[in-house]
Amino acid sequence: MMRYAIRHITRFDYAVPAAFARCNLRLKPILWSGQQLVDYRLRVEPGGRTAPSRAPAGLANIVRLIVEQRTSTLTIESSAELIVERPVPVPAPDDPTLRDVARLALDSRDPSPGGPAAYLYPSPHIPLDRDIADWCADDLDPDRGALDAAIALARRIQRDFDFDPAATLVDTPPAQAFARRGGVCQDFAQIMISGLRAAGLPAAYVSGYLRTLPPPGQERLVGADATHAWVLLWCGPDRGWVGVDPTNGIWMAEDHIVVAIGRDYGDIAPIDGVSLGSGAQEMHVSVDVEPLDNDG
Amino acid sequence: MASRAADAPPDAGEIAERWIADYCSGPVKSDMLCAARGVEREAWLTAFEEIATTSAGSLATARERAQRQADDIGTGYRIAGENDERPWPLSPVPLMIGEREWQGIADGIVQRADLMEAILQDIYGEGKLVSGGRIPAALVTGSPFFLRPMQHLTPPGGYQLQFFAADLCRDPTGEWRVLADHLRAGTGSGYALENRLAIARMLGGLQSRLNISRHAPFFAALRDGIAALCNRSDPRIGLLTAGRYNQSYAEQAHLARYLGFLLVEGADLSVLDDTVYVRTIAGMKRIDALLRRLDPRMLDPLTFDSKSTIGVPGLIDAMAMGNVVLSNAPRSGALEAPAFSAYLPALALRMTGQDLKLPNIATWWCGDEDVRDHVERELDRMLIGPAFGVAPLGLPDGKAVLGSSLSDDQRELLLADLARRPQDYVGQEIVHLSTMPVANGDGLVARPFTLRVFAARGPEGEWSVLPGGFARIGDNPDPRAVLMGEGSWSADVCVHCAEPVDPMSLLPAPGSVRLRRNPGTLPSRVADNMFWLGRYLERGEALLTVIRVLLGNSISADTGAALAPATLQHLVDLITGAGAAMPPPSLDRNALVEFARAALEGEGDAQSVRAINRLARTIGDGSRERLAADMVRLLEAPFPQKGGLLDRAGSLQRRYAALAGLSAEHMARTDAWAFHDLGRRVERAQEIAHMARIFLAAEPTHDDLLTLLDLADSQISYRQRYMSGVARAPAIDLIVCDPGNPRGLAFQIAAINAHLAALPVLSDDGIAEPQQAKGQAIAAKLSVARAERVDAALLGELEQELGRLSDAISRRYFLQGAEPLRAEGLTLA
Repeated sequence: MMRYAIRHITRFDYAVPAAFARCNLRLKPILWSGQQLVDYRLRVEPGGRTAPSRAPAGLANIVRLIVEQRTSTLTIESSAELIVERPVPVPAPDDPTLRDVARLALDSRDPSPGGPAAYLYPSPHIPLDRDIADWCADDLDPDRGALDAAIALARRIQRDFDFDPAATLVDTPPAQAFARRGGVCQDFAQIMISGLRAAGLPAAYVSGYLRTLPPPGQERLVGADATHAWVLLWCGPDRGWVGVDPTNGIWMAEDHIVVAIGRDYGDIAPIDGVSLGSGAQEMHVSVDVEPLDNDG
Repeated sequence: MASRAADAPPDAGEIAERWIADYCSGPVKSDMLCAARGVEREAWLTAFEEIATTSAGSLATARERAQRQADDIGTGYRIAGENDERPWPLSPVPLMIGEREWQGIADGIVQRADLMEAILQDIYGEGKLVSGGRIPAALVTGSPFFLRPMQHLTPPGGYQLQFFAADLCRDPTGEWRVLADHLRAGTGSGYALENRLAIARMLGGLQSRLNISRHAPFFAALRDGIAALCNRSDPRIGLLTAGRYNQSYAEQAHLARYLGFLLVEGADLSVLDDTVYVRTIAGMKRIDALLRRLDPRMLDPLTFDSKSTIGVPGLIDAMAMGNVVLSNAPRSGALEAPAFSAYLPALALRMTGQDLKLPNIATWWCGDEDVRDHVERELDRMLIGPAFGVAPLGLPDGKAVLGSSLSDDQRELLLADLARRPQDYVGQEIVHLSTMPVANGDGLVARPFTLRVFAARGPEGEWSVLPGGFARIGDNPDPRAVLMGEGSWSADVCVHCAEPVDPMSLLPAPGSVRLRRNPGTLPSRVADNMFWLGRYLERGEALLTVIRVLLGNSISADTGAALAPATLQHLVDLITGAGAAMPPPSLDRNALVEFARAALEGEGDAQSVRAINRLARTIGDGSRERLAADMVRLLEAPFPQKGGLLDRAGSLQRRYAALAGLSAEHMARTDAWAFHDLGRRVERAQEIAHMARIFLAAEPTHDDLLTLLDLADSQISYRQRYMSGVARAPAIDLIVCDPGNPRGLAFQIAAINAHLAALPVLSDDGIAEPQQAKGQAIAAKLSVARAERVDAALLGELEQELGRLSDAISRRYFLQGAEPLRAEGLTLA
């Protein structure tokens, strides 16, 4: 078991004071198996009001923030305390095969954002791509067990791609990151999701956090000082959603904190919206994930 | 003379009989005309008689006339990525359908619309169809138009659909069937309207001879149906367009004008406190409903695609609060997916207790395992296409194809992907289309057609079906539907009845129409467009005048001696100063002709007349619903190419004069006109001040003063007033100071101030707004100026102040960046 204190600060600086801003915040971690939210606080400077928002396109706690006063900085600080108790998944011989998973998802009667059907198709930021599909297919034999295949693909991505923040931007399409064999967590997650969906499998995009400081004697994980992204594969009704992190080539377990789940980044961006102003806008983000005690 | 009777042209009836006989003796199978019997055949005959009468028996003439009518109405459409609109290809031969056959179609459309409504209610509400296993969840989630944020949200009035359209085809047995459903935007009803208008103008007698059902009740139902859902009794309704580069912008503009809706873009609208407002010249005005022609995913960056810049942030919140009606509800597109058609027959039986009255073409969704196997086996006898309108990996260009036409490589690619992602594919039966006659050269040929039919919900929630719709006709005689594509011709569709159409039914009840003389509050964007259209037209005209004076006085033999070099230099300075052309290497004739040519027709960055003309056209396009059709046509006319340079300049000048005449004599005196005229006046005032300044820079010569009078179009006034020769003070008095000279500066300033006084102000404190104060300051300065004292310095000041006045008008009335205009103490209406 792990207990974390998370502080996620986003600051917008406006060159010319913005008249008012309306944003969607998807910062409060959702209820998800293996994690429990103990405490949560949202602080906005210089203040504003929150209002209910439309239903999220994915699984997210969504809040509408409305700032009506003219301001040259807007700071949004999201603080959460969580307990994470999530065993590392172990592939088993009786796991459903990828063929089973694809068929079960197609026959599903659950269109909700928690069900597999919503994640079977290409989405605005993750189109299907022939090259990605072919490259991923090597790990995705239809007769292979779903968990076995998922971790194999995540590990191959981690092995074959360079972590290179200079290679891509937030809206770089997966095909481009794939061609460069480099990028950041979002690129790797998108490539993996594109490959899984091209094989007919239900795959979702997770946005969340990774513990900042590794346990003693272990290396620091990549992607820890910002929001992190990884992949969920639905593995049939019994296994449910299983998480893999292609940036680090590991399972989602007690180092990962799920904030929101969607078809892609567009469904669950931590903050999006509009502000009215005429000048440039700069955004600074800092994330701190601190383990609270060592008894996990 | 005995031979007279034999030489007389055959009458229209004989010609029509002969056309039909020739047509049906050809290789025609399953054709609307040749299959017609009895009254149906009579109706076709009557149509062809009317065509023969109007075209003196020539189908080529008829075709030309139909095209001219369509051009006149200003119909056009745009192909994505093209700058220019294409003419709307209208066939002179309408599709004739008898009322009995039509009733079957209309009943089928209503049943289908009701079914669609019920399915939408379920999938965005309780979800019983999925949870009960009637349809798989993946059938719903597969559509890019399944918008989850719209779940559990009841639209104002409770309906998902206010309109519905479908493409139909007639199969060889004479049965009508549905090829595709349109639930997002009923694109095309404006075209149906325009086709009818064009054909009614051309074949005037047809309507009454055949009791053709009218379009008006349908559009009244659409308008009243939307209005009935609004919270106010006299609602303000907008047609939300993606803008002038949209494929069917011309249709949208026409429809907005016909329905009396404001044509608005996302940037015109703003949401405050969950209420939608349009930015107008009188401040923010509330919008009650929007007929949307914008991709639903772009509608609201706070709810859907956060990158959308053409949407309205907060629009869906306003809808959720019941403050704005969005028609159709932005989630209806989910049912457009071809995959859904596969389930409609069973859903119809279950949800309405009846079979579909208008069957779909048979469709198989491969997401079902058994179905996929069937499609794979029968591939050669089927059409295979994308299930959700998104190109799957196995069909890279995203179009449905005949299984039998696939190459080995294509087939391998398709089958491999079909095995991995069966949910992306549908198999469809290959339908053959009935044909109808089209005028081709001087004869009729049979071409396959499809029919788009429209339904709208009236104020009581009842469906009203547009009798007719419009037909799209293929270019290729092959009757297989898949090969027709978008079609290359369109035709009016006439539903003819045994009984006369009751004309009273089209008139609103007495007293129900509130009289008004102004088409409602002017959106800021339209005011902006009208203002700049005025400015550019005036700028083009002024530049043309300089070019003509330069050409006329330097090369033409009959105007006597050429001007003095110093005067010529002034003219050259005017043109280069306007950025119309690079300075000529010398002032000799050849150099000046080349210089004038560049100023007139130069391409590239120069502000030549051609470039100004293009700008004016683009702006006119953006507000075409406010302009007379004749103005749009003149704006869209190609740049003159015939004759010498002077001829071309002259032809263009006549066009500008016609445009000025049309705006002065044909535009109603609305606020839109006021802004157009304001633009013209501001531009002309600046031009006059500028020209006078250039000519007064040094002590003007006789040539200078004559030329200046010529440029200011005031030579004749001068000669009437002064018998002696030309002198400085009288000339300047006439051009600058005299408020009685309609081409003079003082007159323009007075006109500007009259407009600014009449336009709406934001506050009721009686204090002049900045643009009014600036206008009055200019007038005051001018009124005390004596002609003898007017010099280049004063003119320079006036020129600059006019520039600031123009800026003040822009700031007050037009859209300024992203910041919504909110006046202090303004009450939001």
